[in-house]
Amino acid sequence: MPVNFPDVQGKRDTVKEQVTEDMLKEVIDLYISETDSISLLDIPSTFVSVDADDAEPIMERNNQYAEACRSRMDNDKYVDQSVQTLNGATKNKQVQSDSIVMVDKATTVTSWDVYDSLISPDVSVGSTDSTGNNASGWVLSPVMSLLACIILLCFSSASAASSLKEVEALGNSLNAESDLQLIMLSEKFQHCLLVMERSILGNIFQPQLAAYRQLPVIEDPESPVKPGMGEQREEDAESPRSPAVVRLWAFSCELSRGSSVSSMAWNKKNPDLLAVGYGEFGSSNQKPGLVCCWSLKNPTWPERVIRCDSAVTSLDFSSNNPSQLAVGMQDGSIAIYNVKSRDNKACFISSSGCPNRHLDPVWQLRWTQQELSLTGEEKVESLFSVAADGRISKWFVSNNDLMKLKKKSVLSALTPGLCFDFHPTDASVYLVGTWEGLIHKCSCSNSQQFLETFKKHFCPVNHVTWSPLSPDVFLSCSADWTIQLWKQDHHKPVLGFTSTQRTVCDIKWSPKWATVFGAVNEGQLEIWDLNSSILDPVIVQPAAAGVKMNSLLFAPQTDCVLVGDSDGQVTVYQLRNLCVGDSSQVTLKGKVAFSMQRLLLAWPVEAKCSGCQLGTAGKINEWINELCKYIKNK
Amino acid sequence: MAEVEETLKRIQSQNGVQGIIIVNTEGIPIKTTLDNASTVQYAGLIHQLVMKARSTVRDIDPQNDLTFLRVRSKKNEIMIAPDKDYFLIVIQNPSD
Repeated sequence: MPVNFPDVQGKRDTVKEQVTEDMLKEVIDLYISETDSISLLDIPSTFVSVDADDAEPIMERNNQYAEACRSRMDNDKYVDQSVQTLNGATKNKQVQSDSIVMVDKATTVTSWDVYDSLISPDVSVGSTDSTGNNASGWVLSPVMSLLACIILLCFSSASAASSLKEVEALGNSLNAESDLQLIMLSEKFQHCLLVMERSILGNIFQPQLAAYRQLPVIEDPESPVKPGMGEQREEDAESPRSPAVVRLWAFSCELSRGSSVSSMAWNKKNPDLLAVGYGEFGSSNQKPGLVCCWSLKNPTWPERVIRCDSAVTSLDFSSNNPSQLAVGMQDGSIAIYNVKSRDNKACFISSSGCPNRHLDPVWQLRWTQQELSLTGEEKVESLFSVAADGRISKWFVSNNDLMKLKKKSVLSALTPGLCFDFHPTDASVYLVGTWEGLIHKCSCSNSQQFLETFKKHFCPVNHVTWSPLSPDVFLSCSADWTIQLWKQDHHKPVLGFTSTQRTVCDIKWSPKWATVFGAVNEGQLEIWDLNSSILDPVIVQPAAAGVKMNSLLFAPQTDCVLVGDSDGQVTVYQLRNLCVGDSSQVTLKGKVAFSMQRLLLAWPVEAKCSGCQLGTAGKINEWINELCKYIKNK
Repeated sequence: MAEVEETLKRIQSQNGVQGIIIVNTEGIPIKTTLDNASTVQYAGLIHQLVMKARSTVRDIDPQNDLTFLRVRSKKNEIMIAPDKDYFLIVIQNPSD
């Protein structure tokens, strides 16, 4: 038998006939016909039909064979013989295959993991295709990463998988720089930083903020107790509780240092938000002004910084749209800013294009709700402004444009208005303080005449303010060193106050106590309580050296006072131990006032006249002293 | 971008702030004001802590997520602002 060598393959040389183009084009006829039947296997049947011719001898032979089989055992004719098949020689052949890599992987599935996998099916299996994807492509939950590993193993060999991981690690270190850039630019990071800064400052200012919010100030139990502090605390506990102000903190930053604070206003909706306007006054050059919106949660840096074209003289927040801040400037223009947007160009309305605009510094602005709108539900808010050109204007905001609706020019150009205030309940009546020292009561409906005039001051009236708790009582302060207390129907002031010989810059009623008001003259902060004394302020806080106090603001819902000064700082003071008796109505004061007025009218005529002239501030005090003694003795 | 840099500088200059670290998702610190050894240590340990804290919050309610984590210790306070792409870690000593 020839031995086959299947491994050895011989090559048969075949000669190929060159195929020419003519041969390709030749038409060749092919004939297909049936061939003869080729029989490959022919096994005749061993079955014979019973009806066949030779059936009988076959049946006989079958019977003979059956008989022979039966008698086979004992018969000598038949002998058993065995046969052995030869086993061929075996040959060993070996085949090697790649080993199967087995990796153990386990994961703990949590309920949020299942939730994530259900909700966000677009978390794809990461691959290192582009650097941009790398940052997010590998954020896989444990379940998905388990699947990812299995898939990787199925489709690649072990060596390929390990090289992939190396590429990942290399890729990541290169991407750290771009990661940082991406992160720093994202808005979420900015928000993150904001929250972080506030938490840090919350830690630093913890006791002061707690005092502001009238929470008990808790000492940090772990902080090291300084030896000096212990003694001081004992001293405080022992001394009698006299009214005082305690300095809590100051809003100041490098942007505002150097400019003087001109006005402050609380936001109507968010009681933690304070807008402060800064501007340089007294110098001839018009420096650009600044408005900073401070939040109580960050006393070191303002939330919003708005740069204005000229020095800011007045501010007010709107009540209807709490994010609108109206700013009046020294060049007479009024701008309305939207403090919600972080953009520096957040001004969306300015009156500089308006033909009827003011040309002189806008000394005060106020948003007031007056008329009902057409639907009768919401009150339309309009902006009133008083400026040094002697006009009081009412502005109406419509279609992103500031339009002047009615000119309430009750003052002539000779009498610049310095301040005004609307009556707390009747919004159509307001008071205006002028440069000449007159205070006019006017009405919105009558723009030609004053309703009343109050004459007392002989120097510019710096501020006039209605009492929020007692009706018909208002205060005015002026550069003639006095503060006057008026009642609406009396043409003469009911009470006058002086304490120092300086111009009184600002005066405000306390929102909580009807008999308490605060005043700043340039050198000190004074808190007066009419219940305890009408001669001297209850609390006096001198200003820091070289700094003049400019403006005052009471904090709503808490007993703190904010004072702005000429160095750009807004200091927060807390009023302590101010025992005020009955704070609902100014009844006691009313009685004193009434009796005093009766006495004033009963005095001889000369005394009354001399009390109204220049340079008699001291004399007025004398009279008041005597009257008080008189009343006390009664 | 400049605003972000300024805010970071302000935070760094606040009273008692010992260091700021920004860590990316894999736990690699990408910006730090501390020395290398401390940074790596803080980054690794805090990464695990934040994972655990986040897992806890989300186990209770999968729709909730961790927004801020403060760890107050005897000597200092570690404040962590975690996010999907990064962590911001600030270490402050409040009694300074």
